[in-house]
Amino acid sequence: MPSGRLLLRCLYLLLALQAATQAVQAAADGRDPIVVKDPHYGEVLFYFYQEDYFPAIVRLLAARENQQLDDHANEAELLLGGMYLSYGHHLEAADIFERLLADNVAPEIRDRTWFFLAKIWYQRGYIDKSREALSYIERELPENLQREALMLEAQILIAAGDYDAAIARLQNWKGRTEWASYAKFNLGVALVRQGRVDEAARLLDDLGNLDPYNDELTSLRDKANLALGYALLQDGQARAAKAPLQRVRLEGPFSNKALLGVGWADAEMDDYQRALVPWMELRSRNLLDSAVQESMLAIPYAMAKLESISQAADHYLNAIEAFYEEMNRLDRTIQHIESGLFFDNFVNDDPLDSAGWYWHLEELPEGLEARYLFHLLATHEFQEGLKNYRDLSYLHRNLDEWQMNVAVYGNMLETRKEAYAIRLPRVQDALARADLDDMVSRKLEFDSTLNNIEESRDWLALASRSEFDMWGEITSLERTPVLTADIPEADEVGDKISLLKGVLQWNLERDFGDRLWRIRRNVHQTGEALVATQRSRRQIDQTMRLEPLRFDELSNRVYSLAPRIEGTKMRVEDALSKQRAFLQSIAVGELQAQKQRLDIYTVQARFALAAIYDIAATVGDASQ
Amino acid sequence: MTKTLISLAAIAMLLFSISVVAQEDIAPLNADTAMADAMSVQAAKSESRERFRSLDQDVQTLKKEVLDLNRDLFLLEEELLFPANSQVAFFVSMDVGEYFELDSINIKIDGKEVANYLYTARETDALIRGGVHRVHMANLKTGDHELIAVFTGKGPHVRDYRRGATLNFEKGIGAKYLELEITDRVKKQQPEFVIKEWE
Repeated sequence: MPSGRLLLRCLYLLLALQAATQAVQAAADGRDPIVVKDPHYGEVLFYFYQEDYFPAIVRLLAARENQQLDDHANEAELLLGGMYLSYGHHLEAADIFERLLADNVAPEIRDRTWFFLAKIWYQRGYIDKSREALSYIERELPENLQREALMLEAQILIAAGDYDAAIARLQNWKGRTEWASYAKFNLGVALVRQGRVDEAARLLDDLGNLDPYNDELTSLRDKANLALGYALLQDGQARAAKAPLQRVRLEGPFSNKALLGVGWADAEMDDYQRALVPWMELRSRNLLDSAVQESMLAIPYAMAKLESISQAADHYLNAIEAFYEEMNRLDRTIQHIESGLFFDNFVNDDPLDSAGWYWHLEELPEGLEARYLFHLLATHEFQEGLKNYRDLSYLHRNLDEWQMNVAVYGNMLETRKEAYAIRLPRVQDALARADLDDMVSRKLEFDSTLNNIEESRDWLALASRSEFDMWGEITSLERTPVLTADIPEADEVGDKISLLKGVLQWNLERDFGDRLWRIRRNVHQTGEALVATQRSRRQIDQTMRLEPLRFDELSNRVYSLAPRIEGTKMRVEDALSKQRAFLQSIAVGELQAQKQRLDIYTVQARFALAAIYDIAATVGDASQ
Repeated sequence: MTKTLISLAAIAMLLFSISVVAQEDIAPLNADTAMADAMSVQAAKSESRERFRSLDQDVQTLKKEVLDLNRDLFLLEEELLFPANSQVAFFVSMDVGEYFELDSINIKIDGKEVANYLYTARETDALIRGGVHRVHMANLKTGDHELIAVFTGKGPHVRDYRRGATLNFEKGIGAKYLELEITDRVKKQQPEFVIKEWE
C-alpha cells in the first residue's frame, strides 16, 4: 500500500520546511542525505530511517530534554509529530501538527498532513475527528490523494448514515481509475440501501462488465456482480439476476455465493432441475463457507420440489450431521479463543518490533480460528484492535526489561556509594599530607631568589655542585701562605691558580644566561604543575562536596522510577486484558453468529425432514 | 421451510460478508437496509466502535506515559553509566557512500579493542540517508588518548576494502563526541575515512 511511502514523503517535505532549497530537493528525492548538525538528531534519524519508531522517539525526547537539538529544533518537532503518527500515537501527533501547522507552513503540506490524520482517524473509528480534519483541508490535494480524500469523505458520510450526501459526493466522480471503480461500487451499494435498485443496477452493471487490468479490479468486478445479482434477486427480478451472478469467476473468493445465487434465481423461476446444477457443484466445496452450508439445505429442497423425496431425506440427514460437526468445531474454537491462548500465541509468534502504525497482519495464524475468522481479520476494527494489542505487548516487554535494569542500577548505585565511602578517608588523608600552600610559597621563594641572582648577576649561585667545590678549592689554594713565598715556583703556581680561577669564572659567566633560563623554565613548569594540582584539588573538593548529592539525586530517580514502572506495567496489563477481551468478544460474536446460522439451518433441516417423513407416512397409510 | 426464508438469510449473510471482504483501504458499505436486522447490526457496530475508541484512548495515554518513562530511564541510564565528566561517545556517519559499502567497524582506544560492530543492510541504508549511529560509549580519564578505527566493507568495483583511521585527542572536562565519518573522494573515486571531534 502506497500510503506509508506517501506519509514518509510528506514527512520529508515537513522536514525540509525550515531548510534551504537544497534540502527541499533532498526531501523530494527521499534518499539524499539530510545535513545533520547535532549528532543526537542524526541518531534519531538513524532509527527513524529503519522505521524503529519507538527508540527513535525516546532518543528524540531525551535529546530534547537535554537541549541537544538546538540546531534542529523545528525539524525535530515535526519529525516527532511524524513519528508519533507512524507509531500510531495519533492524538499526540495531532497536537503537534495543530500547533506547528497553524502558521508559517505551506498550505500544501498542511493539507496533506490533515488528510493523513483524517485517514488514520477514520481507520481508528474517530469519525468525528476524521471529518473535522478533512474540513481543515483548504486547497485541492494532489490527484492521487484527492481521489482518496473524496472516498474517505463519502465513507464518513455513509458511516454517519447520510447516504444522500454520500451519493451526491460520489456522483460527481469523474476519474477512470481504481478509485473510480471503488467509488462506483460504494455508490451502487449506497443506492441499494436506499432502495433505489434501478439506479444501483446501472452502476453495478457497468462495473460488472469492466475489463480489469489487475487482481484488485477483477475482485471488485466479482463483488459488483454479486451485489447486483443479489440486489435484483431481492427485488424479485430473478431472471435479470442470473446474468451478473454468472459473470462472477468460478474459482474466485466469491464463486460460492455466486453459485448459490444462480441456483436461487433458477429456483425463483421454478426451474429446480437447473437450480441443482450450481448447488451440486457447491457440495464438493469447503463447508466453512456459509454459501456451501446453505447449499446443503437448498439441494434437498430442490429435490423435494422435484419429488425425489427419499434422496431429499438423505441429503437433509447429511446436512444435519455436517452442521452438528461444524457446530462442535465452532464450540471448540470459541473455547480456545475464550481461553486467551489464541491472542497470546499470536503475539508470541510475532517479532514485536516497533513498526507501529504500518504493521499489518501478513499471514493468518495457524489453526481453525483463522479460517473461521478470515473475514473478521480483514476489518479495520479488528486489525486496529490487534495493532493495539501488539503495541501493548511491546510496551509490556519494554517495561519488563526496564524493571530488571533499574533493579541492577539500584545495586550498582549502592556499590558505588560503598566504594566511595571506603575511598574517601584515604583520599582525605593523602590530601592532608600534600601541603599545597607550602609548595606554592616555596615556589615563590625560588622566584625571588632567582630574581636576586639575576639582578646581582651572581653567576656563582648557578654553579653546579662540582664547579662550586672546585671554586672553593681554588679560592682556598689562593689563600695558601706558601704562595706568598718569594720563590719562582710560588709565582708559577700562583699564575696557574689564577688561570684556573679565571677559566672557571669565565665558564660560569658565559653559561649564566643559559643556566638562568633553564632554571626559570623548570620553576615555571613547577608553577604550572602546581596550578594544575590546585585545579585538581578544587575539583576533588568539589567532587567530595557534590558526589553525595549526586548519589542522593540518582538514588531518588532510581527509586522513584521503580514504582512508576511497576504502576505503568500494571496499567498496561489491565489494558492488555481489556483489549484481549474486546478482540475476544468480536471474534466470539462472529463465531456465535456462524453457530446461530447453523442452528437455524439445522432446525430448518429437521423441520423439512419431519415434513418429508409425514408425507411419506401419509402416502404409506394411503397405499395400505 | 420456504424458499424466501432461505434466500433472505443468504442475502443477509452475503451482503454483510461482501462488505467485510471488500475493505481494502477505504471500506465499502457493509449492510443492507432492506434486511430486517440491518439496523441492529449497525447498532452493534456502533457500540463496538465506541468500545474500541475508548480502549484506543487508553492505549494512547499509556503509549505517552511509557514513552515519557523511557525518556527518563534513558537519561538516567546514560548519566549513571556514562557521567558527563568522563563520557566519550563515538558516532559513525556516512556521506553519500558511493565508493564504500560498510560492513563493520572496529574501534580501539589506547590500544584496547572496545567495539566491533557489524552493520545490517538496513542500518547502512539509514546511515547513507543521513542517520548517525552511536557505535560506542566510554568513560575516559581527562588527558590524551588515541583512537584507532578500522572500517571493513566493499570498496570501488565491489572489492573487499579495509582501511584504518587514527586520531589523538584530548579528553577534557565534560562530554566529548567523536565522529567517524565515511565520505566519498570523487576526484580519486575512493572512499575517505576521517575521524573528527564533533563541534
